[in-house]
Parts: sequence; structure tokens; C-alpha cells
Amino acid sequence: MSKSLTSTALSATALALALGTALTLSAAPASAADDKEKCYGVAMKGKNDCAAGPGTTCAGTSKTDHQGNAWKYVPKGSCEKTASPTSPTGFGQLAAFKEKKA
Amino acid sequence: MSDQRLFVAALFDPEAPCPAGLTAWNGSDPARRFAVYRNNVVVSLIDALADTFPVTLELVGEEFFRAMAGVFMRAAPPGSVLLAEYGAGFPAFIERFEPARSVPYLADVARLELLRVRAFHAADADPISPARIARALADPERLPALRATCHPSLGVLRSDYAVVSLWAAHQGHGDLAQVDPFVPESALIVRVGLDVQVLALPPGGDTLVASLADGLPLGQAAALALAAREDFDLTAHLALLLRMGALTALVQPTEA
Repeated sequence: MSKSLTSTALSATALALALGTALTLSAAPASAADDKEKCYGVAMKGKNDCAAGPGTTCAGTSKTDHQGNAWKYVPKGSCEKTASPTSPTGFGQLAAFKEKKA
Repeated sequence: MSDQRLFVAALFDPEAPCPAGLTAWNGSDPARRFAVYRNNVVVSLIDALADTFPVTLELVGEEFFRAMAGVFMRAAPPGSVLLAEYGAGFPAFIERFEPARSVPYLADVARLELLRVRAFHAADADPISPARIARALADPERLPALRATCHPSLGVLRSDYAVVSLWAAHQGHGDLAQVDPFVPESALIVRVGLDVQVLALPPGGDTLVASLADGLPLGQAAALALAAREDFDLTAHLALLLRMGALTALVQPTEA
């Protein structure tokens, strides 16, 4: 059934035209990670994007707020401006750090 | 029954006695320690369901949700150590759960939330390259027979209820009071980069994406979509899928 339906309802040319136009329309594919940086010490507990060391596996597993070895993707440039009460610098850092008492 | 099976059975039955043969390292009462452990197991599993199905929870309230999750959890304890996968059977359970009958769209909202979690954990895959599409376009006669491979995170949900509007209203988009839950909607769920996106697909659009996901050739998928809806906009839907990186390959039947 499918073969006759295909040839009657939609020609190969029409399909090629649609796909060609679609390709042009979609010229700038969405990409998310390019303009982000990994920021340590700013994620609330359970809200980290990845990496939280022994006893946890990955995303969403950090045990405390602002955990120093858990990171979150944030817009580029904003990490070291984000307040982190556990960070020795007072702000998020681009590498894992040892927390001070908040 | 083995010791382990007895132990598990006692975990999920609050009336069951503490399994025999348990001892505590510091000489405290094993029955009390077991009760604490049983409580932690039950609460953590209900918490896991609440995390996976936040809108489902909001629709019926915390108290109803936790009670419903408790019944489910005792009937269907986790089959995998991956807690993120727990709850795959929850939507079907909700559908049969008598007290939830007055909220007929609840199961489909839960299905949408489950597809979001799956999309979140799905493998990465590079979108199809413009060069590959150009090659396919250079041979238009063979184009209708090509099959598209969808991104591993892609899911389609066709519902008799306004699942997308209901879900979106709980994310702060749109006014819940304006949503008529009894308008059928279809959802496209796909992860773009690290963000799981939920979009409403118009009639025809859901047919196209579901057909492509089922592995039907391009020509047949497009024809079915046009049959579902006369004014179906094939170009716009293909552009949407390409823009979201939702298609990862075009395969000739002989290549497959």
C-alpha cells in the first residue's frame, strides 16, 4: 500500500524541494555547550550537571549546596562572578576546590 | 525463600516482622534499625518518583502523589540499580489507579515527564551534516526511499489531552486557567545540547516524526503526514527537525 500512496501523494521532486528549503532554513543548527563553561561550587545539592567524586556517580548527585567538586554549566564568563559561600575566593571556580566552611 | 528475598519482602511490607538473624554492630535492637532502613528505602523511592514526575505531583498535590507512589512502589519495586530509570511503569499504573480516574490526563502528563528524563539521559549523537543532505538532494529519485535516523533522545507522545499546554503551564509558560485539558495535543521531546525541549506538534507533524522514528522511508512518512492533514507544512517540519539536530543520519535501504 505504501508504494502507491508515496508516488501518488508526493513526488520525489516535491520531497527534494521541501528538504532543500528546510536545509536552508535551518542553516544555523542549535548548539548549547559552546557558550558554556564548567563552574565548580555554585550548584545547589542535586542540581550539579556532573562530577561529584566518590560515593556519587554523576549529574544530580551532589550531596550539599555549593559542593566544591560538583560543577554546573553556566554561561561563559559568569562563573567567577557567581557567589559561592564555600569557595575560598567567595565565587565559583573553573576547577574543583576544597570547600571552606560556609 | 532465600534470606535475601525474605529481607526484601520485609522491606516492602510495613506489617512484616524484622527478618530473623539480623544483628547490630553495637548491640542495639535490630528491629529498630531495620525499621529505619525500611523507612529510608520507601522514602527514597517515593522521592525518586517525585523528582521524575514533578508536574504529575503538582497536578494532584503532594499528599495524593506520595500515597499513589507508595502503592506503585510496593507493587513494582525497582528492577534496576539505576534510580533514574525507576518509574517506567508509573504512567500505566496511574492509568489503572482508580482514585486518579477523575484526572484522566494524569497518565499522559506522566508519560511526557518520563520521556523528558529518558531524553536527558540518552546518548549524544551528532546531527546529520549539511553535506550529507546535499548528497541526498543530488539524487532526488532515490530520496523518498531514504530512512532517517532520529536522535537517541527523540520521543513523540500523542495524547487525547492537552499534555504540552498542561506541562508548559507548570513551567511558567501560559496560564493554567486558560488551558482546556480535553484538547488533543502531541508532544515532541528531544534534547538539544544539554537542554531537553518539549514542543507541541500539530496534527500531521506528529505523524511525520512518529513515522520517521518508526523507521519508515522519507517519502512514506511525508505522504502519511499529508494524508493526516491536507495543509501539512513538510518544509517547516523538516527545518524544525534539522534545526534541533533531531536527525542524525540518512540511510539507503541497501546500506542498512
